[in-house]
Amino acid sequence: MKKLFVISALIIIVLSFKTIDDLFVVPKNFPKPVYDFSNNPLSADKIALGKALFYDPILSKDNTISCSSCHLSYTAFTHTDHNVSHGIDNRIGVRNAPALMNLAWNKHFMWDGAVHQLDMQALAPISNHDEMDETIENVVSKLQQSNKYKQLFYKAFNDSNATGEHTLKSIAQFMVTLISANSKYDKVIRKETGYSFTENELKGYNLFKQNCASCHTEPLFTNNEFENNGLTTDKFLNDIGRAKISQNPNDSFKFKVPSLRNVELSYPYMHDGRFPNLQMVLFHYTEDIHQNPTLSKQLKKKIVLGEADKNNLIAFLKTLTDEEFLQNPKFQPERY
Amino acid sequence: MKHSIILLVLFIGIKLNAQTNEFLVKFKPIVKQQELKLNESFNLFYILKDSTQITKLKFYISAIQLYNDKELVYTEKNSYHLIDASDTNSYFINLKAFPNKAFNNIKFNLGIDSATNAKGALGGALDPTKGMYWAWHSGYINFKLEGISNLCNTRNNGFEFHLGGFSYPNNSLQTIKLDVSNNKAIIINVDVAKFLAEVGLGKTNMIMTPSKTAVELSKQAAGIFSIN
Ligand code: HEC
Ligand code: HEC
Repeated sequence: MKKLFVISALIIIVLSFKTIDDLFVVPKNFPKPVYDFSNNPLSADKIALGKALFYDPILSKDNTISCSSCHLSYTAFTHTDHNVSHGIDNRIGVRNAPALMNLAWNKHFMWDGAVHQLDMQALAPISNHDEMDETIENVVSKLQQSNKYKQLFYKAFNDSNATGEHTLKSIAQFMVTLISANSKYDKVIRKETGYSFTENELKGYNLFKQNCASCHTEPLFTNNEFENNGLTTDKFLNDIGRAKISQNPNDSFKFKVPSLRNVELSYPYMHDGRFPNLQMVLFHYTEDIHQNPTLSKQLKKKIVLGEADKNNLIAFLKTLTDEEFLQNPKFQPERY
Repeated sequence: MKHSIILLVLFIGIKLNAQTNEFLVKFKPIVKQQELKLNESFNLFYILKDSTQITKLKFYISAIQLYNDKELVYTEKNSYHLIDASDTNSYFINLKAFPNKAFNNIKFNLGIDSATNAKGALGGALDPTKGMYWAWHSGYINFKLEGISNLCNTRNNGFEFHLGGFSYPNNSLQTIKLDVSNNKAIIINVDVAKFLAEVGLGKTNMIMTPSKTAVELSKQAAGIFSIN
């Protein structure tokens, strides 16, 4: 009986911390993550190896481009100021680099969900002609020849010989540690002392819940689905989005709903980076919705927002900026 | 005392050995009844006098099981094998801990199932460095066949079949069941020329993404496996 009590008390303690792994604490206002940690249990050494790889141009063909060339920590790991990303030899890609955060909660990766599991995501930029233009076979053989990586792989996996599996798993480990959950919004929602919305932010929050939250659903600010939010199609890129992967015409021009956390910094906006600022995003949602057969039903009715409403909405969106995340020294490159 | 322990260990060792064995399954790619040789021209259609050659053949075999009629006799653990024509050692699969029981049919998958696809990065035969993983529409390639034929009106007369796709409606995994009669070893022929002859190389010669066609072709690929 006593034993049972101790065990259940322990279970309750464990549950209340919602600790998936000692190195991965689920924020109080977040749901359970999607990423299956049992297939890739975290360790400090694996995360450190993943971080070293993320910041190392060794992953690209001519050793000039690293993951961080397109995903900069100070701007929520986006490529600010470039509408579509730039890779080796100044080649230009076709899509805008998204912010990297809270990836353990993502069901799909890439704007069209081309990648279904986080571990395998890094293969895409490594092998894309316009990004790093390298093969995983070659990356692994470069890593096997490097003394630095022999040591790091040994520490992480007890095996100094790099493999594709271990390379991808460690990058994924660093990726899942990029948690953004300490914005002003989070602190207000968690009722932390000293935090409350201003009157304008609160008005903006209410407008957001009415007009935006069906797709940009709290607390992750995405419903993890593919939607058509009424953009006109860029004639040059002619990107059909999700339909390319699902080959279902009903998915034409649908893209993954991006999270709006740190949106203040992740400009330019949309899959092709067509809008340089939030004013233009709101102009799009209120005045310029392109009616087409796959347009999501929430946007078929016109959204009406006055100038003050728009300012309040933007004030609210700015409460999603998480300075602790942007400045977190744990995410900065180590000096070896 | 010491001796009796050694004897006991020996005894148990012999006992285990008697009950379980290794059992050999060979996958043997063939062209016109001969074992496939890469980069060597052959004639696919006698009357067309074509010149066809295979430069690459790789495919996954997984989930091997043996049955006696409908009774399951053996399931291989961690059953993932990459058969690669550039490495004939890969043709041989040693089934470990094989029981001393009768069986008369074998079942296996051509390709990698969706549960395994969902697991993320994996090692061994499934390591992404094996050249059998799609980066830009993530998932394993189940069956890869490449070559050259003057029947193909393509750049350098090349053909490339990369068959895969693990999610609805383009799930291309195939389950293959074959009757086997001898109990010593199983040799499974993989008649590559049959696949090419049925495909119609003039029209179908480049498949690189999961699609309806890839599912159709995967079914055809399953049809080229037979018992020697
Ligand atoms: C040349 C620029 C570039 C480089 C280098 C690059 N990325 Fe990206 N990244 C992008 C773009 C563009 C996308 C969106 C692609 C798409 O949707 O098709 C993206 C998407 C992602 C995503 C998906 C995020 C989501 O929410 O769907 C992750 C994760 C990611 N990158 C991580 C990495 C890692 C890890 C590396 C290094 C191995 C890397 N990136 C290298 C530009 C880049
Ligand atoms: C029907 C679903 C839906 C609704 C409702 C919706 N959005 Fe979006 N939103 C999307 C999708 C999908 C994208 C990505 C579209 C693309 O790039 O093609 C997006 C993109 C964005 C982006 C760009 C983010 C980035 O990092 O590029 C912002 C900002 C944004 N939405 C804000 C809003 C606001 C504010 C509202 C309410 C006025 C709203 N959205 C309503 C689906 C929706």
